[in-house]
Amino acid sequence: MRSKNNGKDFCMFALPGMFCFFAVVIIPFLYGVYLTLTDWNGVAKVKNFVGLRNFSGVVKDGQFWTSLLLTFKYVIFVVIIVNVLAFAIAYLLTRGIKGQNFFRAGFFTPNLIGGIVLGYIWQFVFSRVFVSIGESTGWGIFEVSWLSDPTNAFIALVVVSVWQLSGYMILIYVAGFMGLSEDVMEAASIDGASGIVKLKSIIMPLMMSSITICLFLTLSRAFMVYDVNLSLTAGAPYGTTEMAAMHVYEKAFTSRQFGVGQAEALILFVIVACISGIQVYLTKKQEVEA
Amino acid sequence: MGKKVLAKLVSAVLVTVLMMTALTGCRFGFASDPDDPNEESKEVPIDTSVDTFEYDGALKGTNITLLNTKAEIQVALEKMGAEYEKKSGVHVEVMPVTDGDSPYTKMVSLYNSGNPPTLAILDTTDVIALAEEKAVDLSAEKWVSEAEGYTTDINGKIYSFPLCIEGRGIIYNKAVIDKALGTEFDPASVTTQDEFVALLDKLVEKGIERPVSMAKEDWSLGAHQLQYIYETYDGTSDGAQKVIGDIKSGKMDLATYSRMSEFLDTFDILKKYNVAQKDPLGADYDEMAIDLADGKTAFWFNGNWAWPNISEAGAKEDDEYGFLPYFLNNDKSDFANQMIQASPSKQVMLDGQVATEKEQAAGKEFLNWIVFSEIGQQMLVKTCNVIPPFKNNPFEPADPLSRDIYTKVHEQKAFNSSAIVPNDHWAVLGAAMQKYLAGRSGRDEMISSVQGYWDEQE
Amino acid sequence: MKKTQIGGTKRKVTNILAMLGLIIIFIAYMFPFIMVVINSLKQKRDIIKSPFSWLFTIKGLSFDNFVKAFTQMDFLNAFKNSLLVTVSATVLVTLLAAMLAYYIVRHNNGISKLTFALMVASMIIPFQAIMIPLVSIYGGTLNILNHRLTLIFMHTGFSMAMSVFMFHGFIKGNVPMALEEAAYIDGCTHSQTFFKIVLPLLKPIISTMVILNSLAFWNDFLLPSLVLTDKKLLTLPLSTYSFYGTYSADYGTIMAGLLLCVIPILVLYVALQKQIIGGVVAGAVK
Repeated sequence: MRSKNNGKDFCMFALPGMFCFFAVVIIPFLYGVYLTLTDWNGVAKVKNFVGLRNFSGVVKDGQFWTSLLLTFKYVIFVVIIVNVLAFAIAYLLTRGIKGQNFFRAGFFTPNLIGGIVLGYIWQFVFSRVFVSIGESTGWGIFEVSWLSDPTNAFIALVVVSVWQLSGYMILIYVAGFMGLSEDVMEAASIDGASGIVKLKSIIMPLMMSSITICLFLTLSRAFMVYDVNLSLTAGAPYGTTEMAAMHVYEKAFTSRQFGVGQAEALILFVIVACISGIQVYLTKKQEVEA
Repeated sequence: MGKKVLAKLVSAVLVTVLMMTALTGCRFGFASDPDDPNEESKEVPIDTSVDTFEYDGALKGTNITLLNTKAEIQVALEKMGAEYEKKSGVHVEVMPVTDGDSPYTKMVSLYNSGNPPTLAILDTTDVIALAEEKAVDLSAEKWVSEAEGYTTDINGKIYSFPLCIEGRGIIYNKAVIDKALGTEFDPASVTTQDEFVALLDKLVEKGIERPVSMAKEDWSLGAHQLQYIYETYDGTSDGAQKVIGDIKSGKMDLATYSRMSEFLDTFDILKKYNVAQKDPLGADYDEMAIDLADGKTAFWFNGNWAWPNISEAGAKEDDEYGFLPYFLNNDKSDFANQMIQASPSKQVMLDGQVATEKEQAAGKEFLNWIVFSEIGQQMLVKTCNVIPPFKNNPFEPADPLSRDIYTKVHEQKAFNSSAIVPNDHWAVLGAAMQKYLAGRSGRDEMISSVQGYWDEQE
Repeated sequence: MKKTQIGGTKRKVTNILAMLGLIIIFIAYMFPFIMVVINSLKQKRDIIKSPFSWLFTIKGLSFDNFVKAFTQMDFLNAFKNSLLVTVSATVLVTLLAAMLAYYIVRHNNGISKLTFALMVASMIIPFQAIMIPLVSIYGGTLNILNHRLTLIFMHTGFSMAMSVFMFHGFIKGNVPMALEEAAYIDGCTHSQTFFKIVLPLLKPIISTMVILNSLAFWNDFLLPSLVLTDKKLLTLPLSTYSFYGTYSADYGTIMAGLLLCVIPILVLYVALQKQIIGGVVAGAVK
């Protein structure tokens, strides 16, 4: 493709895709950034430029920083558990066990239930099914609904997110494992490398590119958690499980401070961008050129 | 060796899982009859033979949209729109607000998309937030005189149409109480807090261990319960506004405001007899309806909108359910111990920004049709099953809860006071109430969070 | 000889253990879905009071919820809308993203680098932050909401970044330059080379992206709810709105509706599964 026809190539190959992307994502985003600098409330006809006043509103909004801190805690748990679990399951599913196609289909099911229904079902599982198990077995941990205690509600959020996200990540890790050439694995077996050593010194480095992607995806999705947060706990009990994205939404529409909410969304974006940027940089360095 | 242990462990876990499922399965292994006649949805017949309403022929062919934020009447509104179209030639498209979207968010996104609904059913706070900028002044409409006392005044003008009256209090199931006491229960015999507690104790004695259900939802706690402290100031909307102003400005000290402590006293009573006392924040809304219908409980703090749930739980329309006041003290002459709160809760606003004149005229005609046409009157009450705020509407609602409120409104046993609070009041203070309900905070903290909330408002 | 035998048994034991572990996790994964299936056949009261009941008694089982969901959703019409939107958007985004990614990989210039960086960054923009600007641009200014085409266009734009990202990795790792150069020597144009040589090589990643994108489009709720308000245009997830009340929801019908929505996707998944998993060769995600 190294030819003089660069312009024509660009128009044909790159332009249509870029146009969709810029028109739908980048332009509204820039307009949104502009809105953070105005006093627009979402419905008024006039917008006045107010500079950075909305950002000082963010600084004063203590609840935002609390929710951000909670989000950090949540992200750490979710990212680690999702990736360890998905990696392990994908590993097992590519060892040629009986019925692995059946299993793969099963692990795909979390992807089928989305959004609000997902929260309803899990809410139902935590507040009804577990409690009825608790009643019939007398097990203390199920005696009261997990969703009525701040710590347990947080755990419930992590559990559901892990369930949902790992289904997706298994798919990517499986693809990665399938890509490892048989030669590498066989060579390792002949050399007599034991399981752990094989994993650490041969498989991990080769899987690094899958790991980079999965880490990036889990990081960003965990930071942006909204659907599950809203439909599973809605911040309950007493506002202790409100994560950043949900707080932003509540600020803009429930508290009706549109500009401040928009500014908080922007700050959230910058934070996540920095963190995932660092992550991608660090894990990319570990990748082996194949 | 280690692996063997692991294998044992794994199989042990498997067996336990299986046993658990078996156990719970057996325990809950009953199901109801699939041919339950209850499930048959019955159609209330509407008499369309008489209609003296005058339609404006020029409006024929106009299309208007109605944003509905009261999900339970979606189908009913569609039927109403269809009936109106038959007569007037105006097409009414009923747009639902979907779950997960607040009405206000939906309005914001619709206005931004340049495609706002002609008519929108909104909560009073939303009307106040939007009306002056977007809505048509309806002060001169004919229906205004029929809705006396139920209209919302914004700087001397009326921008919204009150669609229905909703009331709330302590719902009782008379049959359950009769059976437990062994005598006929007269709701009017309970007139004070102490008498209410005595009744509760008697029920406990007769075997209804915890006779009260209370929702853990923040809208129930933060709006429906807590707002009694404003609304019972003197039982009027003006009084509620005054007390809110005084709290905001610091003129009123919540710690010494009698309604505040009285409210918490009553709340504590409900809390003490709460069926979900072990885990008040784990209570399930649908289960409360079932418990009340089954007689596991006798009382449920809620409003007439709870009827569909109670009915679904097996209650019949001729069963006797009704409301007790939210008793605040032992003073028999205090109106709060005699009356229940009932006020117009959903308001219809007419768009004046994008809608054409013809659309606005059609919107106005539709509202008048609901009030003055015989068909509209019937459908508002029978199809939508709401309590009409219009004096000229001769129809009575059918379900026992609405009927009770209807009677109380007509017998002056209801006070019409609605506190206008900022939109996040229920969410923020609902959380504080949840904390109090769960026993994780005390009265002082509860009161100071209310004060703190108002201090933050500009 | 003996040693290998021991090794063999050991391997067997680990395999069995792995199998058991998998089964347990598998049950945990399937559990919510199983709950949906079971409870979609029951009435609300039984769902609330006895979520497990028909595991042991099939009394009370009925298909009423499905019938109700089917009619209330106006299933066939909503299905048609969903199918139209999902298929068009999936085809569009797959093709455009593959081409754009190919361009970016083969032209390492400033525009490529900038676009790619923007795309990666855009994947972390919270949707809530662009929701209102989006409707005010497309509705308020351009006034093109309430068309299926607009929704297809937006779906395409929103999933472009993620798709380009995945294609980019695959092309970089799995499409050897040598093949293309050979094609040029044979006199192929750029587009011929792309469609005849490169595209077939992308099959595995295409099937992965098709399933992921179509799943996302099929199930999406928020974006269609902003774009479509006209009843005739509603997609399947939007058409279940009437099952949710203000104070509580009609669980049985919701679950039946959910199953009706996901069955087509399940069929697609089973059909594509061989391609996705069997076909994903060497490092799909590099």
